[in-house]
Amino acid sequence: MKAIIDRESHKKLYLQLYEIMKVKMESGEWEVDSQIPTEDDLCRLFDVSKATVRLAVSELSRQGYLKRQQGKGTFVCKRIIPEELSMVTSFRELMLEAGVQFTTKVLAQTVMMPTEDLALNLDVPEDKHLIYIKRLRLVNSEPVLLQETFIPRHICPQLLEENLETTSLQEIIQDHCGIPITRVQDYISIASLTRTECELLGLSSECVALMLEQLLFSRAAQISYTRSLKHPERFKFFIELERTPR
Amino acid sequence: MKDLMIDVFEFPHIPYWFTIRQAIDIVKKALIDSEKCYHPMAILVFDEKYNLLGTLTHVDLLKGIEPALANIQADTAERQGSPAIPTLDWTTLFTQNSRGLAERPVSEIMVPARIFVQTEDPASKAVYLMTSHNLVLLPVLDEGKKLVGLVRMLELFDVLSGSVVKS
Repeated sequence: MKAIIDRESHKKLYLQLYEIMKVKMESGEWEVDSQIPTEDDLCRLFDVSKATVRLAVSELSRQGYLKRQQGKGTFVCKRIIPEELSMVTSFRELMLEAGVQFTTKVLAQTVMMPTEDLALNLDVPEDKHLIYIKRLRLVNSEPVLLQETFIPRHICPQLLEENLETTSLQEIIQDHCGIPITRVQDYISIASLTRTECELLGLSSECVALMLEQLLFSRAAQISYTRSLKHPERFKFFIELERTPR
Repeated sequence: MKDLMIDVFEFPHIPYWFTIRQAIDIVKKALIDSEKCYHPMAILVFDEKYNLLGTLTHVDLLKGIEPALANIQADTAERQGSPAIPTLDWTTLFTQNSRGLAERPVSEIMVPARIFVQTEDPASKAVYLMTSHNLVLLPVLDEGKKLVGLVRMLELFDVLSGSVVKS
């Protein structure tokens, strides 16, 4: 099946191209260390503009699929993927080690439209409302994690009314809305914080922090995008994976 | 009011900290490009707890990026209805300065929501409030003070004028 760009789709062209190229690498059609077609070739191949190709390539580079070599071209990277490893059945929202007591302060629970960068992280049309949740997690009254979550409103409209200080988001999505979470994607990187973010975490201004971006899926549908900023000390991220039984 | 109002989710929502530029982008993508633009077009501005703070029409957004438009009301009041058009250099409107102004938060330019009606209120009350406060849209709250919709003049006109002039 030849992958093509669907111009009728609400999905941005560069995101479509990004998906197509990702599949080519994951399927092995584009082998590790091989050079991918040039910008001009990609434009012709998929009948898109240079700007579209550049956006798709830069996103794939950002996620570690591609590396650009000055004067040589763009190459497929060897990605370290823990094959056959899957999340432990009791996936914990907070990534705190078991037994750690925390409290939650809800800073925002409101509605907004997707902005440019969110359209990339959350696969929704730009005229769809998102529920926006901002929470500060505290251990022993000290802030440890600042979390912003974006969920398309149609997935779980009652989320706006729920008490998020006592109920976890997963509980609401899975138990109250009846949507099973079947897949989780985590991206870990370093982010420079804004002044407000530093203040909320009790840090001096101009700080950087570990950022965990987490996408939740229910089968093929993407459910949420969460961006968590971690206090540099105070706790460790905890993720446990288990080999799927063959 | 229930039968006359437009559901609140027909209108784009933004938090008050969004910039004018972001709001303009949303008008373009959520209303103009998707061709489901109600008249009057409006964006609803909310706080962190999903309370309605105000509304923004496309005219409010234009005023936000061009001071000459924002000042019109004061001017016309001084002129007492004189139809004279001010002598402005029209080519200077919406130029460099506007780009900087567009970075301000929408809370600076929104029309604050202070007047509301309840779902059980009669259409005549809504039309009175809208006329006396010069509003293009009027928020409708349910018994629990929750925002459920907005009513506009077109539907109110239809039901009220229709009760007087039977066609």
